[in-house]
Order: sequence, then C-alpha cells, then structure tokens
Amino acid sequence: MATFHKKAARQRALAGVIALIAVLAVAPTLLSTAALLNVQDAIGLALFACATNLLIGYGGLVSFGQGAFYGIGAYTVALAWMHLNTPFWVTLVAAPVIGGVAALAVGLLALRTRQLYFALLTLAVSQLLYVIVQQQESFTGGADGVFGPMLPSFLLNPGDAYWFTLAVAVIALLALWQITRSPFGMTLRAIRENRDRAEALGVDVFRHQLLAFGFSGFFCALAGVLYVIWGQSANPNLFSWTESGYPIFMAVLGGQYTFLGPALGALIYEQARDVLLASFSDSQLVFGAVLLVIILAAPDGVAGLVGRGRGLLARRWPTLAPARQAVAAARQPARQDSKQDGQHETVAQ
Amino acid sequence: MSHYLITFLSALTEASSLFVAAAGLTLVFGALRIINIAHGSFYAFGAFAATTLVGSATGGWRCWLALLAVPLGVAALGGVTELSVLRRVYGKDHLVQLVVTYALFLVFGDFALRLWGSAARSVPVPSVLAGSVTLGSGEFPVYDLFAIGVAVVTGLVLWALLQRTALGWRIRAAVEDRELLASAGTNVPLLFTTVFVIGTLLAALAGVLAAPLVSVAPGLDASIIISAFIVSVIGGLGSVAGAAIGALIIALFNTVGVLWAPTWEPAFIYLAMIAVLALRPWGLLGTAER
Repeated sequence: MATFHKKAARQRALAGVIALIAVLAVAPTLLSTAALLNVQDAIGLALFACATNLLIGYGGLVSFGQGAFYGIGAYTVALAWMHLNTPFWVTLVAAPVIGGVAALAVGLLALRTRQLYFALLTLAVSQLLYVIVQQQESFTGGADGVFGPMLPSFLLNPGDAYWFTLAVAVIALLALWQITRSPFGMTLRAIRENRDRAEALGVDVFRHQLLAFGFSGFFCALAGVLYVIWGQSANPNLFSWTESGYPIFMAVLGGQYTFLGPALGALIYEQARDVLLASFSDSQLVFGAVLLVIILAAPDGVAGLVGRGRGLLARRWPTLAPARQAVAAARQPARQDSKQDGQHETVAQ
Repeated sequence: MSHYLITFLSALTEASSLFVAAAGLTLVFGALRIINIAHGSFYAFGAFAATTLVGSATGGWRCWLALLAVPLGVAALGGVTELSVLRRVYGKDHLVQLVVTYALFLVFGDFALRLWGSAARSVPVPSVLAGSVTLGSGEFPVYDLFAIGVAVVTGLVLWALLQRTALGWRIRAAVEDRELLASAGTNVPLLFTTVFVIGTLLAALAGVLAAPLVSVAPGLDASIIISAFIVSVIGGLGSVAGAAIGALIIALFNTVGVLWAPTWEPAFIYLAMIAVLALRPWGLLGTAER
C-alpha cells in the first residue's frame, strides 16, 4: 500500500520535473532575449544553490563561503584565457576540478571548526580571496574583473548559450541528485541528524563531510563557469560574502530539505528581485521584509509550505489520507529536530 | 620611540570602538546563541543619529547628549526588535536565525538610507576634546585618547556587571545552562530581552564613539559587522575578554599592515582569523561547541 503510493508520488514528481525541463527547453522560442538571459541566470544560480545545499540541507554544514568556489570557477575560465589563451572547452572541465580540489583544501581547515565558527571561517576564506583578487590587479584584473572574447563563438548566440547552460545544469543536477541518494548521501544526512550516533556507529564523520565539501566546491565552480557564459566576464564580487549569501537564501526560500527546493528558490528570487527593483525604490527594505515573513511563516521554505498545505488539505478531507501519507513519504529528508534545537525549545516561548 | 607609541595609540583607538561593538555582539551570542547580523545596523544607527543630533555645531553639550541619548534610543529599538522578531526564532536552527537577522539588516539598511540619505556625513569632536597632545616629538588627538578611555571604562563596567551583580550571574548562568536557570525561577525571556538591549546599547555606543573618526555613510553597517564577527570569533564567541584581545589583534594587524604592505593590508584580518581558528577552532578564550 505505502510503497504503491510512494511510487505514484515519485512518478508524479518525476513527471513534474520533466515538464519543467521541457518548458525551460522551449523558452528560447517564447521569450525575449532579455527575459531569456534572466532565466539563464536563474538556471546557473539554481545549480549554485543546489550545490551549496549539499552542505547546508544534507550535511547540516552552513558554509558562508561557497562564493569562493563560484569565483574560482569563473576566474579559472577568465584567467586561463587571459594569461594562457586556453580554449574554453579545456577550462570547462578544469574549472570544476580546480574548485573541488580547492574545496578539499579549505575543508581540511574549516571542518575542524563547528557550527558558527565553521560559517565564519568559510566566510573569511571567501573574503580573503575577494580582497586578494581586488588588490592583485596585474594578475586578476583587479576590481573591474576580466572582460573579453573568452567564449567560443557559438556561445555568443543567446539561444545556444541558453540551451548549453540548461544542458550543463540538468546533467550536473542529475549527478548531484545521485550523490544525495547514494549511501554516501544517506550517511551525510545521518551525520546531520546525530553526529555522535553516527560516530558511534563507526562512521568517519570528518571524511564524509570533507568529501561533501569537495563535491559542493566542484559543482559551485561549475556554476561559476555558467556565470561566465551568462555574463561573458568575471568580477571579484563573485567571491564576496554577499554572493555566498545568495545560495543560502535561495535554499531557505525554496526549502533546504528537498532536493530541488533551492532551485525553486533561485527561480523565485531572480524573478522577485526584478519585480522589486522595478516597482519599489526601497527594494532592499521590501526584500528583507518579504524574507522575514517567509522565514517566520514557513521555516521549511516554499517547498516545505507546499508539503504542509497538502497535509492541511488532507486533514480536512480524511479520504485523502493515503495520498497524504504518500506525499509525506515522498518528501525528501523529513525534518527532525536535531539535538541542539531541543535544548532551546524549552525556554523560548 | 614616540613614533612607535603614536602608532600603537592609533591602533588602540581603532581597537576601542571595535571592542565596544564586538563586546555587544559576543554578549548577545553568549546568552541568546544568536549571531546577530543586524548588530551592524544598530552601530550605523548610532553613528547616523549622532550626526543628526550634533549637527554641524562644534558644540559642547550636544555631543555629550548624543553620547548618552543615542545609545539609549537605539537600545529601545533593539528591545522592540527582540520582542517582535527574534523571540520567535530562538528554537530554530542557526541558519534560520542568520537569515532572519540578515533580513533585519537589509530592512534597517534601507531605513537608514531613507532617513539620512546616501551622502557621507561627519561629526565634529566636542570642543573640550579638540586639539592634540604632544607626545615626545609627535602629536596625538585628544579625542582618540577619550575614545580609548571610554572603551576601557566600558570594559570595566561590563566586567563588574558580569562578575559582581545578580544580573551578571544570571547572564553567565544562561550561557551555561538556561534550563536549570529557568527552573530555578529566573524569567529567562525577560533576561534575554535585557541582554539584547545591553548588546544594542553597546553597538550604538560604538557607533557614536566612532562617528567623529570615520566617514558616516551607507555601508558602515556591513563593514563593521564583518570586523565585529572576526574580532569576536578570534576572541572566542561569548567571551567579552576575548573580544578585547581580538580587537587589539585586528587593530594591530590593520595598523601594521597599512604601514608595511598596503596592497595586502585588507587580507590581513582574514588571514589572522584563519590562522587563529586553525590553531584554536573555538577562538582564543572560547569554549568548544558541543
């Protein structure tokens, strides 16, 4: 019974994702170039957000420094072109590898710290790269960044660039999804839920988290390459802590406990930002207020809110109960209060 | 010789407002377990409000009024913020808290922009503290000495508050075990509001103190919060004494960095933080998180 509904729900989810990809694939025929660029930007950011969420949602590791690897991806393409005239196809492959290796190196240091220290140490690493890239003008182009014909000619056509971005993002997200479903991904979640217990069961926590950090860096750097395809340039802001903040908000906005929640957050954020910038002079104020309301009303993000809405619906109409169970089962890692949270709840009314 | 003394004193001046700001941040973190990004906004409010209150008059009493009234006013805003927003997220995980305080930071940022505009503002120093004293062959501004003095007094008052008063014992007990404290009859929600108000007061005081020394413009909130984070993390989150040491380290790194390697100077504070956390993952005087 339960497995049947679980299967049905999974098929529904799969159908939804395929429909979304289909809509995104025909977008170039429907949208203006400006609108298309906007969607292309959102697709790149969706990969950035999902790659960051491998740490945040699955690993319980809040890194405020993923901008470092995003920037490394973009600058690998730009600097290799500027100094060595390396073809794009080489750097497309090299950038994620360099990002992954850099992440392993940073992880060796950062994963010795916990929680907020981890968040602030990763922030410091990305800020360090940010100021270095800004200061060392002769090598990096300084605060202006790197501009120039670093892309192959076919990527200068808006439609082709869009399709290429979509294809890379879909393949990367499929790979990332496989990682989250693998025994490695399951263990990572077990560590998030209860680190001590996982350790007691003989899991090498540090190694798993380090590997997750490496994977995340790999895909963040790939997202950085997608940024170069979109912006045809690289600039130091990619490394800044505010840039590292975006994928976190997207994950929280969309829902960090579902695989595609952060991607949803990226699409919503991109569209919302344009509307806000166009209609309000105090866009930050409105954005902040909206963010505040969403967080207070829906701590599991929009995807979590959809799940909860269905639950509410089912409680009103109990005949839907089996469907409700299926939805609950199909929802990716169910949120459980971790140990530290329990401590606070008794005092905070 | 006096050259080194003056360099050291400039570092101390920079450290003084950094310490006051970071002490508030670390105090709030210690008791509430919230890392408050909006702390930078309260600092900026302090500086901006001082420019409004003092105006362009190089005048005595208005400066002293600003030093007293602005921190109190901003602290009241802090109290309202704690009661209306932060109280709702105490049980949530760090990420939700970070995003909520960041959202507040954005809202306050635009609010300040609306109130005070985007042009850089400045405050004259009080006439009593204008001028400079002669130290050997060099000169040093009197106001900078005053700022150092205020920071020292603030540190001593905080120390006395935490070590010698019932409120201080309760705050320290909340850092250790808030459940036990609640079951022993302390009104913990009220205690949290009190701590947050004190933290905000310190942020605004630091802002007022720094106002005559810096250019008061948008972006002040973002730059101070990063520095205050670094200072409190180096010292160990939750430790006021750690904040003092962290502020000194960062100010010295900055001052020496500007003199010796100007192009690498902005990188120094991050390198200092990474180096400290590599050796002690919970900061110099912090305790390991469980």
